[in-house]
Amino acid sequence: MLKLIISHEARQIIRTGALWSILALLVAAIVFAAWAGGRSIDRQIEGAQAAEAFENGMRNHMRADTEKYEAQVLASGEEYQFAAVRHSPGSGPPQGTNAGAVGAETSLYVTLPPTGLAALSVGQSDIQLNYLPVSMATTLDITKNLELENPINLATGSFDIAFVVIFLLPIFILAMSYDLLSSEKERGTLAMILAHPISIRELMASKIISRAAIMLAVVLGFGIIALLTVGTGLDTADTWLRFGLWMVATLLYSAFWFALAVLVNVYGKNSAANGTVLAGIWLILVVIVPQLVSMFATTVYPTPSRMELTIAARNAQTEAEKNFMAKLDEYYYDHLEFVPEGKGKAMDFLTLSQANNNSIEKAIRPLYDGFQDQLNKQEELVQRFQYLSPAIMMQLALNEVSGTSADRYEFFLNQVYSFHDEWKEYFSTKFLQRYPLKPADYDNFPDFSYEEQPFSVVMARLVPSLLGMLILFLGVVLVPFIALRKYQVAAR
Amino acid sequence: MITSIARKEFAEIVRDGRFKWTAAIMVLLLLTAMLAGFQKYTTAMRIQQAAQAGTNQQWLDQGDKNPHSAAHYGNYAFKPAGPLSYFDNGISNYTGTAVFMEAHKQNFAIGRPASDQSAIARFGDLSGANILQLLLPLLIIFLGFTAFSGERESGTLRQVMSMGVTNRQLLWGKALGVGTAVMIVVLPCIVIGAIALSMAGSVDHAEGMGTRIAALSVAYLMYAGIFVFLTIAVSAMTKHARTTLMVLVGFWAFTGFLMPKAASEISKFTDPTPAFGKWMADMRAHQIRGIDGVPPFVKFAKYTKEVFKEYGVDTVADLPMYFVAVRLQKLEEYDYPVFDQHYGMIRDAYAAQRKVQDRLGLLAPTLPLRSISMALSGTDLIQHVKFMTDAETYRRNMVVKMNDYLSKAAVDLNATSSSSNYMRADEEVFAIVPPFVFEPPALNSMMAEHRNNFILLALWLAAAIGLAIFATNRISMERN
Repeated sequence: MLKLIISHEARQIIRTGALWSILALLVAAIVFAAWAGGRSIDRQIEGAQAAEAFENGMRNHMRADTEKYEAQVLASGEEYQFAAVRHSPGSGPPQGTNAGAVGAETSLYVTLPPTGLAALSVGQSDIQLNYLPVSMATTLDITKNLELENPINLATGSFDIAFVVIFLLPIFILAMSYDLLSSEKERGTLAMILAHPISIRELMASKIISRAAIMLAVVLGFGIIALLTVGTGLDTADTWLRFGLWMVATLLYSAFWFALAVLVNVYGKNSAANGTVLAGIWLILVVIVPQLVSMFATTVYPTPSRMELTIAARNAQTEAEKNFMAKLDEYYYDHLEFVPEGKGKAMDFLTLSQANNNSIEKAIRPLYDGFQDQLNKQEELVQRFQYLSPAIMMQLALNEVSGTSADRYEFFLNQVYSFHDEWKEYFSTKFLQRYPLKPADYDNFPDFSYEEQPFSVVMARLVPSLLGMLILFLGVVLVPFIALRKYQVAAR
Repeated sequence: MITSIARKEFAEIVRDGRFKWTAAIMVLLLLTAMLAGFQKYTTAMRIQQAAQAGTNQQWLDQGDKNPHSAAHYGNYAFKPAGPLSYFDNGISNYTGTAVFMEAHKQNFAIGRPASDQSAIARFGDLSGANILQLLLPLLIIFLGFTAFSGERESGTLRQVMSMGVTNRQLLWGKALGVGTAVMIVVLPCIVIGAIALSMAGSVDHAEGMGTRIAALSVAYLMYAGIFVFLTIAVSAMTKHARTTLMVLVGFWAFTGFLMPKAASEISKFTDPTPAFGKWMADMRAHQIRGIDGVPPFVKFAKYTKEVFKEYGVDTVADLPMYFVAVRLQKLEEYDYPVFDQHYGMIRDAYAAQRKVQDRLGLLAPTLPLRSISMALSGTDLIQHVKFMTDAETYRRNMVVKMNDYLSKAAVDLNATSSSSNYMRADEEVFAIVPPFVFEPPALNSMMAEHRNNFILLALWLAAAIGLAIFATNRISMERN
């Protein structure tokens, strides 16, 4: 009997023009979102490649100079020498022999590679810079750059598949099911159907199953198509594992909205009233609660002020500099190119400027660490509010699964910091030893490769959101299951 | 007749329990949003003013040093919050709040609040503007969607028409009834907001606060009017109340949620923002090879020859100005056109994107309203661009002043190559650079910039009224 009703419902849905247009809109939104998400990731990759090519070009230029110099030395039998830092071109050993110059004036771009699903949920990746220049500059110089994007677009947010799933899919689900029982009741067919040997629960279940099947076929089908067109790393298990989790989240989220439609339907109001209530609930859960939570979080637990931090850091920096300046010719400290060529002294300047960089970094580091601590505490508190809305849980889950969360970025940053130390160590040691860099040394410079977060970490952050949605769904589905017994079949 | 129809419509709405609930929720949200916004605004202003005063003092207290080194030490420009940012925070969460102004480099603003907030912040701010842009239309739809289709379903439409009421009277009566009900919700908030505003007026001396509020009110009233008439039009055209609701809610989601994002993606396609890495690499390469293909050091060699000729000297030592300082300033100036071109490219891309999005307002009235609202609240792109331009002008002036001073005060250093004999300046010298002051863009120019958005809103309103007239004219006894 259930099968019969389901196939009957499915046939009915398929023949209803309105539902076809809803599905067509959904498909159009998915296609548009996949296109937009793909473009966003392409742009990040293009930026990373251009930056890397430029810096490698600078370094290769230095290397080419040392190759020329090496050949010249070999031919003349001179000694291969170390060059002091200077900016205007001249004769003698090239700058490429100076490890300090190479390590400070060229950077190595380190990249956070997108996961296979990054194009599906842009998440926080549009406000982070996923490629950072590591040089002998301070960590603050390394992390101060931001990806370029129109702030209007950032404030509006991306039209990615996560947006389609979180914002639009519920609307489509509700549009398909807001009048599940009420329309039959209004047409007077409900009493007729229930005269057959079928319970109202079975009828409801079959209506939901037929609609959910169609909706999920579309979401899954086009989700896979989107993944195949804009996803990357399709040959890795990681991508498919992530996609599987993505689908689980989507399933739970959709189930919640279907259950909500049923819940509203069992109260026996007319279709228009059901529609009003459901549209209102959508607005509250998807828009108002997240915005309220965000407002609450930033009002009650305000982010510490960057402006105050800047002032404090500058005071620390000035202090560090003042102590240093007592011994230094500060003018030349800023302009190494004017250091007269000669023995000893000129080299001291780079040494000292590096030392100064370090002292500045040491002075302001605690301030930034304290700031970061405060931010983390706030973030933790905000995370707890996610259970107030399935939309928040869903957004956090999708960002996590797609590797576009702030958490993964911090994981990346920590690797960047230790690589920065490695880079500084390598070049400053060579520089302090006045070791003349040879072309062959260029192959042995420190290199960076991102080590992915263990999957258990991702899961640990994901599970609360998924569980939250499951519990919410069960809560919502239980009420109508009980309440359906009292459903008034005929209009009074 | 119109008033009695309006009275009936109004009474029906107000007596409905749903109205009381939605109205109460909306008023509560509006007040909460304004209060929280106001609290944030006063805190932000206090911090900004203290920070700007602090950094100005740091500039003076940086310790005796070479003037050019002082230019390297630089100064910060801190961005004040927009005068009505507690009503509409606009793009403020996504623009940097501090610009480091230093020798040789033009910098982007750093300290973007969104970078320090959790992912939840991406759902947007619950601001007065957001509530009026998104919740108010839904409230109007809820209150008005049964205006015709509800009466049609219950059969009272035929009755009313049989009493000789004209279609026109019906339309205006219903519009008036729905409009009054909406006003009952919104007006108290506006009054409270205005009172709060007049009490808090001393925080910021923004230009034309009255004009801003008046223009904002006009824009939002037009927006509300669009939804009132669209609701009545759709209600008159559809047979069932549930269809009316579906169509209107669909349109609401389209204009309020789907179109802003779609418009943003479309504008990114028509006028792409360069990726940071690509942009940076291009600019650095351009700096190295020179704006005209002549590298800076070649340019400077040529310039040196000219200067020698002009003063009739053969060595730097004979020049009447400290030539190292001249060189520093020249190198600075060679970079100006490169910065202008590359930073200008971004500015232009953003402006073009904004125009594209505004034009897509033809499809969605929320877009022009959003632009107007941000602009008048002083939290839009125009405001930010002006801030960045002011900071760059300040930076260039600061560096010129320091290098100039050095070139005049350290002439005797030309003759010596000794680095121990360098020039030192103190607080008095640093004081020749005046403190940074941000001049917000003039209200007139903002209004002019958004004239098209006002026109778009007016067009939408006219179209909505036209549609409502057309739809109500079609109603006849026979077909109901």
